[in-house]
Amino acid sequence: MTITTQTDTAHKVINMTTKSEETVIETKQLCREFGQGDTLVKALSDANITIERGEFTAIIGPSGSGKSTLLQLIGGLDNPSSGDVFLDKKNISHMTGTELSDFRRDHIGFIFQAYNLIPVLSARENIEYIMLLQGVSASERKKRVDMLMHAVGLEGLGDRRPAELSGGQQQRVAVARAMVSKPSIILADEPTANLDSKTGADLLDMMKDLNEQQNMTFVFSTHDPKIMERARRIIRLVDGCVVDDERKA
Amino acid sequence: MLTLTLAFRNILRNRRRSLLTLLSMGGGFFLLCLTLSMSEGSYSNIINIFTQDHTGHVQIHKENYLERPSLYKTINQSNAIIEKLEQQSSVLSVAPRIYGPSLAYGKNKTFPAQVIGIEPDREANTTRLKSKVKQGEYLTDGANNDGYYSAMIGYSLAKNLKLTVGDELVLISQGIDGSIANDIFIITALVGDASSYERMNVYISLTAMQMFLSMQSGEQSQVHELAIKLSHQGEARAFAMNMQIQLENSLLRVEPWQVVESSFFNSMQADKKGSYVSMGIIIFIVSIGVLNTILMGTLERTREFGVLKAIGARPTAVFYLIMLESFVLAIIACVIGLILSLPVCIWLASSGIPMPEPIDMGGIIFDTMLGEVSWFVVLLPTVVVILSTLLVSFIPAMRAAKISPLKALQAV
Repeated sequence: MTITTQTDTAHKVINMTTKSEETVIETKQLCREFGQGDTLVKALSDANITIERGEFTAIIGPSGSGKSTLLQLIGGLDNPSSGDVFLDKKNISHMTGTELSDFRRDHIGFIFQAYNLIPVLSARENIEYIMLLQGVSASERKKRVDMLMHAVGLEGLGDRRPAELSGGQQQRVAVARAMVSKPSIILADEPTANLDSKTGADLLDMMKDLNEQQNMTFVFSTHDPKIMERARRIIRLVDGCVVDDERKA
Repeated sequence: MLTLTLAFRNILRNRRRSLLTLLSMGGGFFLLCLTLSMSEGSYSNIINIFTQDHTGHVQIHKENYLERPSLYKTINQSNAIIEKLEQQSSVLSVAPRIYGPSLAYGKNKTFPAQVIGIEPDREANTTRLKSKVKQGEYLTDGANNDGYYSAMIGYSLAKNLKLTVGDELVLISQGIDGSIANDIFIITALVGDASSYERMNVYISLTAMQMFLSMQSGEQSQVHELAIKLSHQGEARAFAMNMQIQLENSLLRVEPWQVVESSFFNSMQADKKGSYVSMGIIIFIVSIGVLNTILMGTLERTREFGVLKAIGARPTAVFYLIMLESFVLAIIACVIGLILSLPVCIWLASSGIPMPEPIDMGGIIFDTMLGEVSWFVVLLPTVVVILSTLLVSFIPAMRAAKISPLKALQAV
């Protein structure tokens, strides 16, 4: 794997070797700016990142370093000011709203800090909804929901609405929802920030197991040391620039 | 199915607000339905009164007769046409008429009069003329023992000529052959009152009129007009069109009452448009309430729309979800409105509202405002409520569909 970073003062190239064979994400000279003139803020500068299938990666950095911006650009929730994002070898930077929706539906799973479940749908229905958008048959939907409810340890809680579940349980539903569409990558923005440390650790262990068992690619944006402990790769951002990329043995 | 479930649950999410909106929409439906029922019922009543007064539902004349009436523009062999008309299932009765502007003389006074030749029985079946006889006996077909034919005279003409039942009436006109037509008739009845259509008319039998104006009778019978009464006034246009096709090569014109009495029909239509304005105001008020609910509902759920779009819902899916919620809301409101309004409309159609001051319309007392129950009365408010709801939902739905998922997710 090759990481190229560019700061205002110098170029820094970090070369690494990886065992993964298939590239899931590749960003090229990715920039995101907000405002203009005197109020111009460079949230992300010339980020070149490549992530392979099956990675369990944490993007870390202080507040305002561009972690969430990078995740949003990779997830197709935001458009870059310049540069390109390739997901499954497709450039998503110039896709239309509908094309991006379809792409997110089929290739990306999201886990949000605030769970963001649909409050009027039960846990099962929250997981099922995305498959409805994909046009998956009813029997297949039931099968996949049952399997994932079991995988995230929520058997018997499927009929509960989000308000009837604890924070940890809600985040498990969110994990199941992110995985149910069989995406190429799961992007998790501060997934443990609203959870107590034990619940957060349990959730991370569960995600780690899913990563190892199902070769699912996870990318986290986080401050949480528990995620950093478990991540096999840590990308550090400072002031919108990738300053370090560490792969654990 | 899950989308419909989602729509239902979103409606039930804020029950009090949804209930108030439903009551507002249902109330709007109720008012629309009631206004339409009263309006359609009243107009239907007036049309029935009007058409049964003298016009009938459909009339047949020689070409251009209505524009420029003339003694010479006659329907020939009218009996054959009457026979053909009476074979139609929707025809209740047919009344042949001959018009002859004349000079009426009685007791040293003369006045112009419209003399109308009628078949007494057919006319009685087609219009209310028989019930308008205020004094004397309704017209008979034949001549009396002295060989005089009887005549019915309008109230005002009788007053002007100082004539009453039993007096002689002399009529002078021009025959169809150019001769001077004059004859003596015995007044057997006074009809109508000072404001009615018949006030300056003289009615004599069709046979007497044909003799008076030297017109053909029997198989070759000539008349100026055939007034047709149908089983329902709503069939008039279609029947006229159908009959016109059947009589295509005869130089006859078949026209519904809307054409025959176009000034009445046009003023009625103008009046109807006035009532549509009040209905428009009801719709506007209801729509503002619906807009408020849908707008609040979508603003509150901006973040959820962001989630839906982030996980892959297309902008159109979000748009349709909001429109579906509005549609479901509108359907429930229509059901509520229908439950509220149908019994009231049925009561209005059967009993009506007694008017504090009865209205005299051409001698016919109009003392009750009747409603009407019809598909139109029920379907129009349904369509209006659904369409107006969808219309006001369009902007919030478009807004939610177009919003960037990122901005929506950042909404508080």
